[in-house]
Amino acid sequence: MITNIITWILQLIFVPIMAPLCVGITRKLKAKFQNRKGASIFQPYQDLQKLFGKDEIISKDASWIFRCAPYIVFTVTIVVGASIPLFASSINNTITSDLLVIVYTLAIGTFFLALAGIDTGSAFGGFGSSREMTMSALAEGGFIFSLLTMALISNSTNLFMISQNSLLLQGHFFLSTALAFCGFFIIVLAETARFPFDNPSTHLELTMIHEAMILEYSGKKLALMEWASANKLLIFIAIASNLFFPFGLAQDLSASAIILGIIVFTIKIGIFCLVIAILESSIAKFRFFRLPDLLIIAFILNVIAIILIY
Amino acid sequence: MNILFLQFLLQVIFLTIVFLHISKKNFDAIWAYGIQSFAITILLLNSFFETGNISLLFVALLVLIVKVVLAPRFFARLIKKNELIFSVSTYLNIPITLIVIVLLCAIAFSGIFEPLTSIISSNQGLLSLALSTMFLSLFLIINRKSALSQIVGILSLENSIVAFAIFAGLEQSLSLQIGILFDISVWLIIATVFMSMMYTHFGSLDVTDMKKLKD
Repeated sequence: MITNIITWILQLIFVPIMAPLCVGITRKLKAKFQNRKGASIFQPYQDLQKLFGKDEIISKDASWIFRCAPYIVFTVTIVVGASIPLFASSINNTITSDLLVIVYTLAIGTFFLALAGIDTGSAFGGFGSSREMTMSALAEGGFIFSLLTMALISNSTNLFMISQNSLLLQGHFFLSTALAFCGFFIIVLAETARFPFDNPSTHLELTMIHEAMILEYSGKKLALMEWASANKLLIFIAIASNLFFPFGLAQDLSASAIILGIIVFTIKIGIFCLVIAILESSIAKFRFFRLPDLLIIAFILNVIAIILIY
Repeated sequence: MNILFLQFLLQVIFLTIVFLHISKKNFDAIWAYGIQSFAITILLLNSFFETGNISLLFVALLVLIVKVVLAPRFFARLIKKNELIFSVSTYLNIPITLIVIVLLCAIAFSGIFEPLTSIISSNQGLLSLALSTMFLSLFLIINRKSALSQIVGILSLENSIVAFAIFAGLEQSLSLQIGILFDISVWLIIATVFMSMMYTHFGSLDVTDMKKLKD
């Protein structure tokens, strides 16, 4: 009973605690690839601390949506973070771990983020939201279909059940899994505002998507938005690593299994951060009108994956 | 060898053909072809281990030399010589290309080709996959404007046919394989010379430029 409670607490706090570190590692690796020293991997924690200590300025035109959106967006990432397999696949969650619940809970966050972007009437927020909704609408098909591929292979739509599937580890359905993962990885980059979809470190009006929507935020609310964005990155990395490569997950709730699960998951996070850093250092951001092609490719790869299951 | 490993090799062949459809760089296409041919070599080696027929070992070694080493080297030299880093475009854009790939896979796995894929009932799924690799290779030849990509498509089609034959349990006789490999070797030389001449004359490997020959 106590182990169960501890596991659930760990499951709940793991994403918000580790997410800024994940962003810090990616930035550090990116800096190394670009021959820069780069900030410490703990810099995002210090940034959050600084922002939480600052006053905020809110436009007089801002409505309740602008004020509430950071809390909603952050809460959504916490709920989703607690509902996906992180280090253990044996946690029994039948309420919020369904693939459609996950996809559409994340969509609630995106919806409020876009609303907050246009709420103050700023031109930057407006085009940021417009671009974000275009991307989200196109990415949603690929996102659902990649999870659906894994659901069809595992005969379950529960993400914990999918991560328990031993067929993948035995080498079955390699082709479908590989294609679904390729599709999902494109979606990860799109949903987490990474290259080639968005440049997370720029404020140029021609390129920014995510940053344009949160441009009006400052202080504590900006901290929540940044934290939620980091959480989202870790959530997608967790889904990618534990659904498509479901090894090293704790199969029972013993302390040793949980510790091993956390170590393996941390290594997986490191590998994904490395891949993202390599990608961001080696490719340029695509023109906005080329992005739908990439998202459609993600969708079609998943359709091929589903056909090949049968 | 384990059937799962053989299945994995066929899946690698399939993935390399999908990659050939998506890739924009000629060097990537050559690498993909090399990997695909290496998978075929391992499949042939497996046939040797299963049957003990020494001629199959000889065939596998020949395939390794011709398809994995020589062919990619020929193409790599051509690419370097003429600085053909990027492949010329396709007739259909990538999303539509992938939609066609979906349709071709669906056709290969449908009941239309069941008489062909049920030659060995236990391998029906694998034979359908091998058939879809054949279709995808044919589509690669049709869809690409670049002569180099078309030639890689033809070679990839040949690999797909070999893979289909292996999983269909068709006999891999030494004389037949040597004949095919000799054909491929000669054809490679002719194709490389043809591409060099084409590049010298037109300044590109885009086959649509050959329309000028009508004038």
